[in-house]
Amino acid sequence: MKLYQVVLKDILRRKRRVLFAILGVVIGTMTVVSILTTATAGQENITAQLEKYGANLSLLPAVKSVDAGLGTLNLGIVNMGDNYITDDKIPKIQQITDTLIREYRPDIKDVGNIATIAPTLFISTTVKGSSVVIAGIEPQEELQIKSWWQIADGKYLDGADQALLGSQAAALLNTKIGDTLDLNNTPFTVVGILGDSGSDEDYQIFVPLATLQRAFDKQGLISTIDIRALCNGCPVEAIADGINRDIPGIRAVAVTQIAATEMGMLEKINTFMFAIAGVTLIVGGFGVFNTLMTSINERKKDIGIMRAVGASRGQIIKALVYEATLVGAFGGVLGYFAGTALAYGLGPIIFKVTTISFVPLYLPVAIGLALCIAVLATLYPAFRATKIKVAESFASV
Amino acid sequence: MLEMKNISKVYGNAVNKVTALNNISLTIEKGDYVAVMGPSGSGKSTFLNVIGGLDHLTGGKIILEGERIDNLTENELVRLRRGKISYVFQQYHLLRSLTALENVLLPLTFCGIEGKKTRAIELLERVGLGKRMNHKPNELSGGEQQRVAIARALVNDSMLTLADEPTGNMDQKNGQAILDLFERLNKNGQTIIMVTHNPEASRRAKKTVFLQDGQIVNQVLNKKKQKYNGGIK
Repeated sequence: MKLYQVVLKDILRRKRRVLFAILGVVIGTMTVVSILTTATAGQENITAQLEKYGANLSLLPAVKSVDAGLGTLNLGIVNMGDNYITDDKIPKIQQITDTLIREYRPDIKDVGNIATIAPTLFISTTVKGSSVVIAGIEPQEELQIKSWWQIADGKYLDGADQALLGSQAAALLNTKIGDTLDLNNTPFTVVGILGDSGSDEDYQIFVPLATLQRAFDKQGLISTIDIRALCNGCPVEAIADGINRDIPGIRAVAVTQIAATEMGMLEKINTFMFAIAGVTLIVGGFGVFNTLMTSINERKKDIGIMRAVGASRGQIIKALVYEATLVGAFGGVLGYFAGTALAYGLGPIIFKVTTISFVPLYLPVAIGLALCIAVLATLYPAFRATKIKVAESFASV
Repeated sequence: MLEMKNISKVYGNAVNKVTALNNISLTIEKGDYVAVMGPSGSGKSTFLNVIGGLDHLTGGKIILEGERIDNLTENELVRLRRGKISYVFQQYHLLRSLTALENVLLPLTFCGIEGKKTRAIELLERVGLGKRMNHKPNELSGGEQQRVAIARALVNDSMLTLADEPTGNMDQKNGQAILDLFERLNKNGQTIIMVTHNPEASRRAKKTVFLQDGQIVNQVLNKKKQKYNGGIK
């Protein structure tokens, strides 16, 4: 018979007590795991949203704005240079962007285009007596960048002579699905109306780029290009620099500010979560400590018996630590699963996150944590228990 | 074999002190079977505890086989309990989670000895529990539990067995069985010191030592038909 067998038999006799101790560990671990899992899911969710969030880069025509003045008389700003980008530059832009992303992220094996490049031509015109902005877009690319677009009515653009209206534009022009709009003598059929976005887009009319260019005789011309590099942490600054250096007539601007702000917020939330997890751990640790302390005190007599028949202090401590290890291991595993389950409940409330996933890394973390708590909480009472004189341990019962 | 020289034990502080043992000297030879008698509070349990290292002396010394055992450290006491001295308690003190056989094996577990199961079984058969060795303490009668405890005390081949009121919790019949067992063990060479307040039990030993107020007041050799003389002189 080995010592661990003695311990196991004793645990089987005291099933309920041991289950209580395990429960204590489970509660502590569960809380920590659920908080960590929710925080992780929240972070992934926000990152995913940020990746979807519009363009990383905006390309504008390189217009030199010169302050014109005569003495102290200000004549305003004089724009020098083209107001358009020519669309023959798009392949070069795509190439520069993709090359830099591949350099930065060698793990991306895609051979096709990585970055989404969405050119837009803006035309300001009058429709039915109202002044509106018409945006000529590449429907598929535009949709990838504006992932928040919701079609409130009708469908998305899938033909050359179709128009998609912003919600306010549709209201102002008193237009509904199936109506025909005449833009510079070119008829467009309204196929869809966008939901409110709260931005300028609500007042715009979206039509396919090529058709618009022909209708307004702007073949090959573009007002702006939005680029979305499809990865988190892509080198947008470097891409902007590359484009500015290699392609004349274009000014590339990196859009990173929003991402930085949101990431900062996320970090604060995480810190807060970890603080809560830490406090929980301490509280849970005290609970476990208390349970184990009581459990050891109850076994003073048994410890006395073992000592009387030749157990050393080390062997007693070893036996109690065996038990604590078991309590910790079971508590850790159960706490991990319970915590993940709890995160499924908590996640949607805290983060509006629907995709809580198992984080396998937290399993060893949970077990390690639970083991530490259980063993540390055992050591002190165990050590104290061995200090009691054998005769006293019998006298106490 | 066991020599006690002027041992004393005082409990409490200077104001409130109780002298449990007062300058006792006694020698016990190998193969002895000594009963310690005396009224409650005479110090007989303390006497046994200090011999077994369960309690510390206030003065004097105890020598077992040429080695002082009254001033041992915890670790040295562990060595003492692993093969030199074994205990049999009034309350049996078996582990509730273990069967009779496992309880007997327990001292060997702590010594790191394995595979001596036959020895344990043999001992249980000797104490008449060959058929009940897989029962847990709560399935055994008091007498049976005490016999398990005795088997446990013998499994390590200890040179000295200390028994504290071993029949104290038992009816006449079971008590007799335990005393028969002690007698048999002693005939086979086991040295036993037994504390009891039962005159009949004490007469089964080879020698009876009478304690009162922490002092030895009489020592009697128990010849088989000797009549009990009332304990004191």
